[in-house]
Amino acid sequence: MTSLFQKFRFPDRRALVICALLAGLAAIPSLVGGRYIPAVFTSILLFFILGALFDFMLGYLRIVNFGIAGFLCAGAYGSALSVQYFHITPWTGLLVGGLASAVIGLITGVLTLRLRGIYIGLTTLFVMETLRFAISNAREVTRGASGLTVGGFTPLFGIPFPRSEPITYYYLILALVIVTYAALYAIVRSRIGLVFKAIRDDELGTSVLGIHVVRYKLFNFVVASFFVGVFGAFYAHYIGILVPTAEEFGIQRTVEILTIAYVGGRGTLWGSLLGALFLVGMQEVLRDLQEWRLVIYGLSLILIITVFPSGFAGALRQLGDRFSSRAGKGAHISTKGDA
Amino acid sequence: MFTADVLIQLTIDGVSRGAMYGLMGAGLALIFGILGIINMAHGELFMLGAYAMYFATMVLGVPAPIALLISTALMFCVGVAMERGLIAPLRARLGSRWLVDGYVLTIGIMVVLQNLALILFGPREFGIAAFWPGRQEFGDVVISNERVLILAGALFTTGALALFLKKTNLGRAIRATAEHPAAAQVLGINIERIYAITFGIGAALAGAIGSLLLSTYPAYPTVGGEVLLKAFVVVIIGGLGSVWGAMLAGPLLGLIEAYATAFAPGGWQNTITSLLVLAVLVLRPQGLFSRQVTRP
Repeated sequence: MTSLFQKFRFPDRRALVICALLAGLAAIPSLVGGRYIPAVFTSILLFFILGALFDFMLGYLRIVNFGIAGFLCAGAYGSALSVQYFHITPWTGLLVGGLASAVIGLITGVLTLRLRGIYIGLTTLFVMETLRFAISNAREVTRGASGLTVGGFTPLFGIPFPRSEPITYYYLILALVIVTYAALYAIVRSRIGLVFKAIRDDELGTSVLGIHVVRYKLFNFVVASFFVGVFGAFYAHYIGILVPTAEEFGIQRTVEILTIAYVGGRGTLWGSLLGALFLVGMQEVLRDLQEWRLVIYGLSLILIITVFPSGFAGALRQLGDRFSSRAGKGAHISTKGDA
Repeated sequence: MFTADVLIQLTIDGVSRGAMYGLMGAGLALIFGILGIINMAHGELFMLGAYAMYFATMVLGVPAPIALLISTALMFCVGVAMERGLIAPLRARLGSRWLVDGYVLTIGIMVVLQNLALILFGPREFGIAAFWPGRQEFGDVVISNERVLILAGALFTTGALALFLKKTNLGRAIRATAEHPAAAQVLGINIERIYAITFGIGAALAGAIGSLLLSTYPAYPTVGGEVLLKAFVVVIIGGLGSVWGAMLAGPLLGLIEAYATAFAPGGWQNTITSLLVLAVLVLRPQGLFSRQVTRP
């Protein structure tokens, strides 16, 4: 009994934290009520999962996806346009958006992942801009800069999703985030995840072992693209209007996502939750500081990179290590902060 | 419909605009060649140069040529300060694995500069009509004096940069460092100094072009974004890190843009350029003018 307890002590503590977190995330918005808090938490969750997906590529394989907002855009417009022209339901739209983004990811990945890291960054950047320019110009189809109006989610299993009740959308994204995070976590914890880390730490050495590095990179990139697309589709039906601006689907959105991943702590996935809570929360609390918002984003990015590269997650880990060593346990796995 | 003089007009427009893109790209390529990072804040250096030029000429009343020199020198200092203050410490801490972080660090700098400009100067556009009003007429071809000025400025700067890199000791040291940093260091070149100076030169180029183009691109907080994208296009077409490639690719891009604007329906020229870049990235990632045979 004791040995069993000891064996499962560490996962148990982790499971406890996760359960508490989920319970908190599920309860807070409905306890507080109103429309404002659920909307804020929806945006925290959205940025969290996008940050985690960015981190899934950057923190595990050093793939810098500068065009992540473009994949979001592909998912959003992919779903919105197919709902409008092919009359599918927004629920199928989630899948269509994910697939649209995954296909773009597959093509981009096949063409550039074999090259040096800088090329995937530049290519994704231009994929994003090409998409955005094309959408702005194809006014007959996408309504361009005047904005595409998108309907909300239709009732599912008798549960209605009215936009006037943000709490319903909050629970929807909570479910989507849990599924996505579980998938990413499973991959990272599996043998594939080990290969990811091996490639990150020594790409040449890993390829010498006979591992097809590009194939693993491609798998990672396409999976991430798919999920980014799914959340793009969610975003489309949640927000109700799509405009192809740089703030929405361009470099500025990418910078927001990237900052959340960096501030949260790279190579951890869950760090982005802290990053999103901090950055989105701060921007809600400091509403008066509207124009300073992005300055704070930029400064946090500079500070994190130059002074504290392991981010919030690294700080929390150090704290946890100190706590457990003081309590005389110190038996759990301590992973180093991201290199 | 498109007569010879229209074509000549388009060509001159394209080349003069493109020469400027080429210089922006050359600065970016120089920095990439030496430091190995893409400077995402390059457009913001352009923006700062434009603001400096506006305030020097329109507020302080400094004559334009002197203002141009002031703004260029100022941006050189800004570039050196950026490299010494932020980039060098990061490189020192992370050793050879700093590249991805260095790249993201410049994004942080870009965001801060852009939004500080927005807070300090507001979204207003600070521009001027022309440094040299009037126009030249050659038969049916009409060229504004401003275009002549810009073309002359671009050609002069391109020549000066080429001479500097080819003929001076510092220029040789920079090229040597780009080719093989370790060997350059063994030969007694102070690499850290080269890093700082190269960043300064890149910044000074961006500042000078921002100043010269004040009549085309007025100073406003996000002007850098548009210009950065052009510089990226040029650097990719010319081959990453190739200064000469960028100088050649600039006019090429200018010509493509000028013709695309004239022939393609409004708005699509941006899509055409982006697609062209994607094609180069996929088919010839080493750039159009590169003879490099190794895998990029």
